[in-house]
Amino acid sequence: MVNDVELTAKPSMGVLPTLFYQFRKAAKVLRMFAVIAGPGIIVMVADNDAGGITTYTVTGAKYGNHLLWFLILLGPVAYYVQEMTVRLGAVTKRGHAEAIFHAFGPFWGWFSLVDLVITDWLTMITEFIGMTAAMSIFGVPAWLTVIGCWIAMGAMILSGRYWTWEKVALVFCVGNLVYIPAAFLVQPDVHDILRNSLVPNLPPGGFTNELFFLLMANIGTTIAPWMLFFQQSSVVDKGLQEKDIRFGKVDTAIGSFLTVLVAMFLVIVSAKLLLGQPIESAAEAATRIMPTNRWVGTLIAIGLFDAGFLGAICISLASSWAFGEVFGWAHSLNAKIKEAPWFYAYYFFTLVLAGTVVLIPGAPLVLITLFVQVIATTLLPAALVFLILLLNDKKTMGKYVNTPWQNFANVGIVLVIIVLSTLYGVSTLFPKLLG
Amino acid sequence: MRTLFSSFGNMVAAFRAINRRYAKPAIEMTPFVKVCLVALRLYLFVLVGLLVYKFVITVTG
Repeated sequence: MVNDVELTAKPSMGVLPTLFYQFRKAAKVLRMFAVIAGPGIIVMVADNDAGGITTYTVTGAKYGNHLLWFLILLGPVAYYVQEMTVRLGAVTKRGHAEAIFHAFGPFWGWFSLVDLVITDWLTMITEFIGMTAAMSIFGVPAWLTVIGCWIAMGAMILSGRYWTWEKVALVFCVGNLVYIPAAFLVQPDVHDILRNSLVPNLPPGGFTNELFFLLMANIGTTIAPWMLFFQQSSVVDKGLQEKDIRFGKVDTAIGSFLTVLVAMFLVIVSAKLLLGQPIESAAEAATRIMPTNRWVGTLIAIGLFDAGFLGAICISLASSWAFGEVFGWAHSLNAKIKEAPWFYAYYFFTLVLAGTVVLIPGAPLVLITLFVQVIATTLLPAALVFLILLLNDKKTMGKYVNTPWQNFANVGIVLVIIVLSTLYGVSTLFPKLLG
Repeated sequence: MRTLFSSFGNMVAAFRAINRRYAKPAIEMTPFVKVCLVALRLYLFVLVGLLVYKFVITVTG
């Protein structure tokens, strides 16, 4: 995609020219990174979607700053898993859905595609629930929020350029950072934050089933099936080559840093203002905070809307890309609507369908929110196992095959995620199973 | 009605074409890969079983 840096200083040069060359080299590397960066940051920040924001708010309200160290641990976990999709996409030039069909045949291909479609659609409903709840705090009716979102989401892809979509998505990623100023506004105890960030500890009361459930929920919001499909397809659509992999990795690392940063600052805000209060959603948290701390409540509501919007556009795209890859439709954001009608039709169809469900009076929204976790549990282990197997296929990956260390780290992470997400899914189905 | 049948027929043809295109798995089927895929089938079998069980006990009260 971008030529490698060829600038080198000659040994005979003086200090100033050498510094000048080093500066130019660094500037060129930064420019190249700016061109390639995007998929990793977007997918990681979008990972803090409406459901994630609610999970972090509840975590802070229930356990204060005690689980900050755990959130920090989730950063590398997310990085190691998502980094594999960058390599796989750049080497095979196939999205995750197509890669599964190609490598494992139609049975596993259809299973993954159908499961992804259901999971994505249900998750998108939760994003619309978050967006409408956030805007209702400002007095905006749900129907207006949903229609406004449809228009904005449509406008994002009308240009027929991946770059435009990506830049707008990055603006929403910046919007996700509103929790940082919110945390400064509440003036938290810095000593307490540092201690709980650096020293792993359990909250007062020790290891309870409730704590275990919340830890699993935090893991569940860190790695979601749609993220694997989104980033790999995004890497392919953007046209990243094998030589761009190192920048793709940095992009993913920055994204994982940002996702943890946002989560930590939100937990800090929630811990400071809501500790001990029975909070069930981020919208409820914003509503409770509003009367005493208007600015922070407003920022939480804005952040929740932003998270839902970013999550919805990314998840919808993940499904559209997957369908396009498998059915052979034109499936690039670089294509105009008339060039890729089915791809865009599916993108709008899922968004309209998810938004409509939220507007149906009496729709079982709580049940849907719970069901998302259960369905995701059936897809996540399969997608992760396929990822590990593909990254170990020398014929497919060539020199980009997993190294022994990468296998040690990735297999370990994947096994832990599978066990915990399974327990989470099963305990959602049978709440009394774990006591 | 004829259009409906025609659309359905096109859809079935598209599914069949996809199945034919990916009929032969491209990954090298080493013993490790085979074990992983069998384990995955068992895992999903158990999980879907639990889902069905939950559905049945919810419906029957």
